[in-house]
Amino acid sequence: MPSDTAAISTAAKSQRAGGDLVSLARRIERLQLDYVHRIDDDAIESMPEMFTDKCLYRITSRENWLDGSDLGVIRCESPGMLRDRVTAMRHAAMFAPRTIRHILSGTLVDRVDGTDIHARTNVAIYQTSADGDTLLLMAAIYRDIVTETPDGLRFREKHLVYDTLRLPDSVICPL
Amino acid sequence: MDGTAAHPGKNFSKDDIARAAALAASGDDASRVAFRVYQDPAIYAAELERVFYGPTWNYVGLAAEVPNVGDWRRNMIGEREVLLVRKSETEFSVLPNVCAHRGAQICQALKGNTEKAFMCPYHQWTYDHDGKLIGVPFRRGVKGNGGMPADFELSDYNLPALRVAEINGVIFASYDAATPPLDDYLGGDMKHYFTRVFDGRKLRIVGHHRQMIDCNWKLQMENLKDPYHAGLLHLFLVTFGLFRLDQKSATVLDDTGGHSALTARRSSPDEHVGNDEIASYTPDYALEDPTLLEPVMEFDDEMTLAIQTVFPSIIVQAQSNTLATRHVIPKGVGRHELIWTFFGYEDDDADRHELRLRQANLMGPAGYVTLDDAEALEISQRGVDSAPPDNEAVLVLDGDNIGSTDHLVTEAPIRGFHKQYRDLMGREIANAL
Repeated sequence: MPSDTAAISTAAKSQRAGGDLVSLARRIERLQLDYVHRIDDDAIESMPEMFTDKCLYRITSRENWLDGSDLGVIRCESPGMLRDRVTAMRHAAMFAPRTIRHILSGTLVDRVDGTDIHARTNVAIYQTSADGDTLLLMAAIYRDIVTETPDGLRFREKHLVYDTLRLPDSVICPL
Repeated sequence: MDGTAAHPGKNFSKDDIARAAALAASGDDASRVAFRVYQDPAIYAAELERVFYGPTWNYVGLAAEVPNVGDWRRNMIGEREVLLVRKSETEFSVLPNVCAHRGAQICQALKGNTEKAFMCPYHQWTYDHDGKLIGVPFRRGVKGNGGMPADFELSDYNLPALRVAEINGVIFASYDAATPPLDDYLGGDMKHYFTRVFDGRKLRIVGHHRQMIDCNWKLQMENLKDPYHAGLLHLFLVTFGLFRLDQKSATVLDDTGGHSALTARRSSPDEHVGNDEIASYTPDYALEDPTLLEPVMEFDDEMTLAIQTVFPSIIVQAQSNTLATRHVIPKGVGRHELIWTFFGYEDDDADRHELRLRQANLMGPAGYVTLDDAEALEISQRGVDSAPPDNEAVLVLDGDNIGSTDHLVTEAPIRGFHKQYRDLMGREIANAL
């Protein structure tokens, strides 16, 4: 644990110095890649463990974001609620299967605030239907608060904010 | 993407539309509905004219969405774009978002505020909050040259404002002078359910969702008039007792049949019967975080679910503590847009607001309940599209009754919808003859 504290303090110092946030951004990019591949590779059961015990996960429109609305298309306040979403997708909903594919941009670290790292990552999310048709589900941005824990970086907040005004299809699982 | 730019209803002549309307209005047994009304682009064009631009009240938004004088929002009635404008503390106008000069779209943003005047960006014609034309640049020309003719009157080029009606902060508009007053349009029973949710308290907007669904707009409306599916399709509703066919419940129709309300009281598992007939019933299914299913009583009556539809295109959802309007906007014969406006009340405390946010997980484009609906609606459209137009939907649950019931095992609200639909589609034909 001391080493984690040291890492945080180093990040904070480098931020204060206006210095090198690139390596921190690279670590968060790795985290993001890990995250989206768990979804895209249909291993979403292990995704909720990437969140802290107290967390907020949300998918919402840019319209809501600009209005200051807290509403989400999906809104989970705990890893348990995220796992419930996964269970529902597997067992409790009637829908044809879809394949999800995230295309991520590089990550920008905006600031480090105590143990919280505020970061943004652009993303395009494509969806392919059971019939094989691919559509762009959303052009979006992840607005994340990532935090250092003894187990490594974890998401404390993840807001997937989509520019697309009208979703062209349902959202069947956390993205 | 087809947003507001798509207008597939434009491609038909008056004769096409008259023929299509007559075809859609035919059939006196509302328990049989020919698939052509979900397939035929000419019938869709006729619906725009005879339903959406006809003697109906169309939802255009909530007063709370335009809270300040001069606030406006874009919305759609059929394929026509309109602006909802708050022109004073208590008055609203609904204007075409189309300049009287050359037809340019006046406002491009989703919403905004204009203190005094709307100005078309193209040639800067300006209109007040009532749509009155108040300014035209270079009306008198330049140094005596050009300009508008001497007999040009600003008042000849006002935006044709729609009729507007409001009940407790919910605003409707109509193109037709013959539309009865909103209270009469709803009727007493429907006004009762409407004012149960919209009880005069100021609303707090919680947020919006917008989604495209690949099915005819009528299938969406019918789905909210169909308790049969709700008690079967939705595992979430039947397993957790949010909505079941065995509950104390009611199905209420107005005199036209076009509007309806479905209500139910939440039940506990030991009250449930008929589980063996519900394939989706899953007794072992449980949530790891059950806070989603911990509502508080919202209204003074015992009903925990009330779904109301107001013909032609608005649904009012009150499921536990998640309240929303769902606005159905037709986008061609096989598509519609669904706009969800979630709301609470201005006097909600922080806990109640949290409950509304949490329970919103049941609804919307990823809703535990409504995800099933979108999927069912799209497979309905796919099936219908691949069948002959004379094939018919069979709506005989609870016989041919088109009236209120004290149970949910009925398709009466769907039959009522088609009765009113046929009356409207047939009406102008009769006038024309």
